[in-house]
Amino acid sequence: MANTVIGSSIIIDGEITGDEDLVVQGTVKGKIQLKESLYVEASGKVEADIETQNTEVSGEVTGNITASDKVELKTQCRVIGDIKAPRILIADGASFKGNVDMDV
Amino acid sequence: MVDSAQSTVVGPSILVNGNLQGDEDLLVLGRVEGSINLTKTINIAESGIVKAEITVRNAVVSGVVVGNITASDSVEITEAGRMVGDIRAPRVIIVDGARFRGAVDMGDMEAPRASAPLPARTTDRPAMAKSVKAAIPASTSKASTPTPPPMAKAVPVAKKPMPPPPPPRKAEPPPRAAEPVAVPVAANKKLKKKVVVKKKPG
Repeated sequence: MANTVIGSSIIIDGEITGDEDLVVQGTVKGKIQLKESLYVEASGKVEADIETQNTEVSGEVTGNITASDKVELKTQCRVIGDIKAPRILIADGASFKGNVDMDV
Repeated sequence: MVDSAQSTVVGPSILVNGNLQGDEDLLVLGRVEGSINLTKTINIAESGIVKAEITVRNAVVSGVVVGNITASDSVEITEAGRMVGDIRAPRVIIVDGARFRGAVDMGDMEAPRASAPLPARTTDRPAMAKSVKAAIPASTSKASTPTPPPMAKAVPVAKKPMPPPPPPRKAEPPPRAAEPVAVPVAANKKLKKKVVVKKKPG
């Protein structure tokens, strides 16, 4: 299965929707809606509301993240926004500002 | 998870709606709508659908494109490619089997003339002139001033295309023919009208 990759020099201003994994190394502004996983890599910048099954952030995210399964904030990531997911992992070294909603 | 670390891929089930810009190659297996602005190559695979204004260096279309492509280098529509829109690029390649509707603008024709295309055109011209009469008016309209004498000599073969150039020199026969025909008709009409008028008063 071909991976969808937004390369490091790419800027997308708009909406991305789909049924497969998405790797962001560049910049995405707007909205991301996936039925699979989103990987925001260390070079990636996302200014968007995110709706996925899984989201893994190593880069920067500004916007709300809603995941049906899991959100993982890795070391060195910077996230500003609210997170809503049944499982939320925040690693040591991650920067995060916002609300967490695990639907408890 | 990153197989191709340095190129951007829009997967088959992905829809990107908006503006996409960047300095690297882009492979489209899914859909992109809006606008695309790259300094490198966009490759639209057979499964790819792009409805966008595209500005790139190179474009290879194997999928579907609806929109205009402006390329600083080349645009290629492959055998499987389908496109509706205008192409603006110094090099445009449309392969047999490709489907395309739109305008092509290769910009300044001087650069290509200097290289290969010119000799091919010159070889084509004589054949065209001998076989195809319709080709003559187009070529004459563009280069009528530089080659008037050959035109006049070639005229007898093709009488129809001649009208515009001949009038100054040997255009006399056709105008004469036209004038007498027109005059009698007009005269007849006038006579008939006059007759009618006369009858009415009479």
